[in-house]
Amino acid sequence: MDYQKTREVLAAFEREGVTYVIFGAVALNLQGLARATEDLDVFLAPSAENVSRLRRALRSVFDDDPHIDEITAEDLLGDYPAVQYVPPDGDFYIDILTRLGEAFRFEDLESERVDFDGLEVSVTTPATLYRMKRGTVRPRDQGDAERLRLRFGFEDD
Amino acid sequence: MPVYKYRDVSEMEDRTWREPGDPSLFKAISATWDFARRTTRPQFPPGVYKHPSRASAEELCDEWERRNFESFREHRSRR
Repeated sequence: MDYQKTREVLAAFEREGVTYVIFGAVALNLQGLARATEDLDVFLAPSAENVSRLRRALRSVFDDDPHIDEITAEDLLGDYPAVQYVPPDGDFYIDILTRLGEAFRFEDLESERVDFDGLEVSVTTPATLYRMKRGTVRPRDQGDAERLRLRFGFEDD
Repeated sequence: MPVYKYRDVSEMEDRTWREPGDPSLFKAISATWDFARRTTRPQFPPGVYKHPSRASAEELCDEWERRNFESFREHRSRR
């Protein structure tokens, strides 16, 4: 992942007033554990206006990449709640979610404002991150869940 | 660089965590991501991919990861 590019994307989200929460590995990094990742996971508040703000933000960073127009509210609020955007350089990607199965909707996520090198961004709390990761089947996510459990002393319900 | 000693491996985990917002955390994130990028040189096909579920998105990620790993191995074997 490109550190500066990731920060630039999030700065654009803030500038355009996108309502989002970072989850996944970037959230884990910003909550205190530096680890390699290839994607930025963002949960988006599900509204057409918010998707529109997201497009504006991405266009401002990725030189009006025409692919960005394919990210639509119709999809994200409809049958495709998970959209991946790979920018023209192709060296990382952004996972955009408006819901995660039956388990998580935007309003279910506890978040907090966290400093990202001088930029305040919205990040899932460690407890929410733990809840999201512990139920997954991927070994990498299970490893993250275990690290969160040890660090913050979480107990399973 | 200081040397840290532990009585048990489980104690080592705490050393890798930093406080959110700590400048040393940003330095560690930047160094980790940069090292990973330079060594693995991942590439993903540009565009937009739509999925009915997170699981479906993860399947595609796994496929990209597999291809990147093969390409990394090929690159290494040529050196």
